[in-house]
Amino acid sequence: MTDCGCEKAKAELEEYLHNELCGEDTADIHEHLAHCTDCSSEHLVGRTLTEAVQRACREIAPEDLRDQVLLKLRTIQSTH
Amino acid sequence: MVLSTVLERPETSVMDALELSVMTTDAIDLRDLFEEQAMPYIDQLYAAAMRMTRNPSDAQDLVQETFVKSFAAFKQFEQGTNLKAWLYRILTNTFINTYRKKQREPYQGTIDDLEDWQLGGAESTTAMASRSAEAEAIDHLPDSAVKDALQSIPEDFRLAVYFADVEGFSYQEIAEIMKTPIGTVMSRLHRGRRLLRDLLAGYALERGLGSAQPASGAVAATGRAQPGRTTSGSTK
Repeated sequence: MTDCGCEKAKAELEEYLHNELCGEDTADIHEHLAHCTDCSSEHLVGRTLTEAVQRACREIAPEDLRDQVLLKLRTIQSTH
Repeated sequence: MVLSTVLERPETSVMDALELSVMTTDAIDLRDLFEEQAMPYIDQLYAAAMRMTRNPSDAQDLVQETFVKSFAAFKQFEQGTNLKAWLYRILTNTFINTYRKKQREPYQGTIDDLEDWQLGGAESTTAMASRSAEAEAIDHLPDSAVKDALQSIPEDFRLAVYFADVEGFSYQEIAEIMKTPIGTVMSRLHRGRRLLRDLLAGYALERGLGSAQPASGAVAATGRAQPGRTTSGSTK
């Protein structure tokens, strides 16, 4: 397999990260990342960013909200 | 063959006759089904609502309204299709139609047309010692810094990033949720992530994370783009 090169890899890194590439392109980028430290460190930043956002966005709905929603659903139903 | 048609006929007519009397049971079944299928998404929907409205009280109202609307439309929901994406579409619609109007900041509807330099950011990552230092710095930032950065980027970018990176929706699903072409989704995601990365690099440098030399970190500490300033110029 010939290396797809940094230009293609950098252009498609975000789609690669989000699993949006077709199998063939995914394999090309995967292959390139294994041999290119520059692109693989760029990919690492991208992955770290995604993980940081995931971590920061975790929320648990307040218990009150859960109760209110259930109550509301029951009230709607009884009026129909 | 003959036997089955003979058997089917009375069955359907019995169904017809029973239909009226089982209506209430159907309604309760539908509610049970809705609760069983939709309620597990309440934490995620609340998290998304928090990113949209930026405050717990509005987020709770938005989630409640989303559940009421989805329940009202639940008969139309095609079982076996993606319920999570369906709920997010209703959440996003509700947010855009009612809550966005209440937001203090005016909505910047033309954000997609702005050039990158008009949005700020861009150059601060060059102050990082290396990409691995940048990754490490991002990894060590507190959640509050990441939330602040998310809250400060344009709404459409923020939502695209949230849908892709936190919820794991495909670009196609995001396009349907945000009612926008897939190319716009990709652009919003790319620009949103770029802005976020620059802001986080700025935060990290302010806190002394990831910079090459402490002295040079101070220059980029504001985390804002300085037009005309490039790294190649400063090494002369």
